[in-house]
Amino acid sequence: MSQYSRRDFLTHSAAGALVLASHGILTNAAFAAEPAEMAIAKWSGPKDLDPEQLKEAAVKLTENAIQAIGGLKRFVSKGSVVWIKPNIAWDSKPETAANTNPDVVATLIRLCFDAGAKTVKVGDNPCSPVAAKTYASSGISAAAKPLGAEVVFLDRSRFKDTEIKGQRIKSIPIYPDILDCDLVINVPVIKHHKMSELTMCMKNYMGVIEKRRTFHQDMPTCLADITRFMKPRISVLDAVRVLKAHGPQGGNLADVELKLAVAAGTDVVALDAWGAEIMGRKPTDIPSVKKGAETGLGKIDYKSFAKEIAVS
Amino acid sequence: MSQAVRRLTAARVRRVVQVLLLAVFFALVLLTRFKAAAPVASPDGKAESLPALQAPAPLLKIFFLIDPLITAVTALTAHGVPKIALWSLLTIAVTVLLGRVFCGWICPMGTIHAIGSRLFRRRKNRKGFGDWSRWQLAKYYLLIGLLAGAIFGLHWVCVLDPIVWLTRTTSTALVPAAQWAVKESSTALYQSDPGIGPVRIDKIVEPAYQFTNKYVFGLEGSDHDPAYIGGGLILALFAIMVALNAWRPRFWCRYLCPLGALLGIFSWRPLLRRNVKSESCNQCGLCGISCHGAAAIAPGGAWKPMECLGCMDCGESCRRGSLSFKFVLPWRKEPKLESIDLGRRGMIVAAISGITALAAMRINPQARGRIFNPTLIRPPGARPEREFLQRCTSCGLCIKVCPTGGLQPTLTEAGLEGLWTPMLVPRIGCCDYTCNLCGQVCPTEAIVPLALDEKHATSIGLASFDVTRCIPYAYGRNCMVCEEHCPIPDKAIYCLEVEIQDRSGERKTIKRPYVDPQKCIGCGECEYVCPFKDRPAIRVTSANETRHPDNQPILGGKEDYSQG
Repeated sequence: MSQYSRRDFLTHSAAGALVLASHGILTNAAFAAEPAEMAIAKWSGPKDLDPEQLKEAAVKLTENAIQAIGGLKRFVSKGSVVWIKPNIAWDSKPETAANTNPDVVATLIRLCFDAGAKTVKVGDNPCSPVAAKTYASSGISAAAKPLGAEVVFLDRSRFKDTEIKGQRIKSIPIYPDILDCDLVINVPVIKHHKMSELTMCMKNYMGVIEKRRTFHQDMPTCLADITRFMKPRISVLDAVRVLKAHGPQGGNLADVELKLAVAAGTDVVALDAWGAEIMGRKPTDIPSVKKGAETGLGKIDYKSFAKEIAVS
Repeated sequence: MSQAVRRLTAARVRRVVQVLLLAVFFALVLLTRFKAAAPVASPDGKAESLPALQAPAPLLKIFFLIDPLITAVTALTAHGVPKIALWSLLTIAVTVLLGRVFCGWICPMGTIHAIGSRLFRRRKNRKGFGDWSRWQLAKYYLLIGLLAGAIFGLHWVCVLDPIVWLTRTTSTALVPAAQWAVKESSTALYQSDPGIGPVRIDKIVEPAYQFTNKYVFGLEGSDHDPAYIGGGLILALFAIMVALNAWRPRFWCRYLCPLGALLGIFSWRPLLRRNVKSESCNQCGLCGISCHGAAAIAPGGAWKPMECLGCMDCGESCRRGSLSFKFVLPWRKEPKLESIDLGRRGMIVAAISGITALAAMRINPQARGRIFNPTLIRPPGARPEREFLQRCTSCGLCIKVCPTGGLQPTLTEAGLEGLWTPMLVPRIGCCDYTCNLCGQVCPTEAIVPLALDEKHATSIGLASFDVTRCIPYAYGRNCMVCEEHCPIPDKAIYCLEVEIQDRSGERKTIKRPYVDPQKCIGCGECEYVCPFKDRPAIRVTSANETRHPDNQPILGGKEDYSQG
């Protein structure tokens, strides 16, 4: 057996260190340098849809939006574990637009498996007191289970205090399984929200944490902190139905409007800016969007790079 | 006697039946919980995911429905019982024919005490353990006193009913204790995540925990952390009662149980009687020692069917095969019976004591409806307080089924008369907006089952802000968590923008929340989510509850469905 010389040791260690270091640089670079992408799929067909057609439209819109940013294969590596994080905050039915559209979620699950994901988990930390009821009412349980996704309830005793070193929040309990996944796909719905004006991509990250009731005292900074920690890679913003008033919980069908659009992208700020415009607001009037842009989480000017596709 | 025949003694069959029924009892209490249902689209486009129970409601209440004491007392106090409770007449019929077999074979509390007695059974010096004692009359006097009180509206005897007692103990003490043990231990392992080399312990423990949490306790996807005010007291009383079996076997059944006393009265001359063959009996006294109910003076004395639990252990204990049970026509004198003489004086004293006890409970302004306890928030559908107390058995089924854990047993809030009845404590858990399960499981309709739209139109209280604590009022910051969570579709909490000056004199605009008393139904979700955990800055009190016109400060109340 040959001796392992000092020189070999040094060269090998140096090489190893270089690989490790460059890996870090490369992954960081991939996160930061890759140009932001975004696609908006809008329904151009007839607007008076029956429930079955609406379902079909939601599926098509989602497929097209994902297709236009290069498909999920870019994000989902073979055999990976993906966490789909819809908004399942409130114990109300899909028609009220208080939660993400179940057909959008179901389509993403299917696309994840098509892209080679081994496991797809779906879960949120609801605001309504009984998660099991909330998941059922939202229609997401029923949509996700037949596709083979794991519908996960976030057990309150399983959250782990995690350092996030934000401007406001230094550490907060986060559900560890979400952090352990290879990819988190953030899938919010656009809703009116009394405190943050609108709830969209950044606000949706409040569903991975606990002890969030003090956030309302400085919502934009808290949202920026948690979004930065979560390192968003892909978000899909559901505007099939939107909640125009009495948000974030709603409950009145009169407050719901059919917008028939789905956007997908890598830049949460850009997506939220689009969402604000969909709701007839100026993006800079939405404190979390403004804060996100100021702190470098993304660009408000989505129009400079977003593709728009008409789907019918 | 051959071995094969011995295996089939009545006493052995009885033990199997008892254990099975006890298991069924515990399973039914554990299954008294909600089942999440997917929304069902209705033709008008509204989809409702109605809260459902894990098992049909009549099945969950089956032990209550066959309990004649609850039916009798509720009929006396409330002058009405749910029709389905008339099944308890079947128990009376069985008792008239066979004696107190309900106590010996069916009653889950009886089974607990039978097991307890066996565990504590002395090996030596058991002589006299089966001897009848005059103290066994205590349960009859207790029953008479409480029934006399019941005629004047006291429902309290049900607090001591064995089915009620065991249900309450199981739901508010035994289940929470077991759940706590499972959760605490597995959480400790999960959070510290110890490993033996590459083996991670939580890889094994977690699935076991998740299985138990989901299927045994049914707590998956629920905020509900089963813990109850005064649960320790309930557990302690139960433990004392089990421990007393060490002093006298089946202490509870022999001396205290009011249901046993009621059934005892009906087994005055049962058709199934204990028969001793005097030619082969050598008066050894083994049957007396083995007797669960102390129904016979051993040896050779007369049998007291009112005290006999029909357990058949005496037949099994007899080494000479000279003891058996057989059917006899009611007018026959043999085998000899001995009935119990309660005495006229004793019965009168007991009745007067019961009525006095009721008077004592009502020497209280709250019991007379002069004042209202602000913390006594009753579940939606609860009848007006007096009527409610005339029906509520304090069994705790509603407390068990409440998916948020907000329903808690009272201690002093409703007076002694209302001990362990349900109240909503919103900071522990709110009344879920789309849930009406408490009314569905209530065995005596003390909580009237409400449809969801009826529930949404029923106030159980009213929220109010404590502006010395509420963050936008007291500390000049936005908060509005309560407004966000208010489940009323067009919001009972609304916000107005106000301009304030901060410490440095700078002017800023903040949103201040207000309660709309016409819309608030007192569900308490606002109180539950308020960032103040010690004393929430928005609190619900019983004010404006629909069931009490006298407790409504706001003009324009809601319709009272509890009368329906």
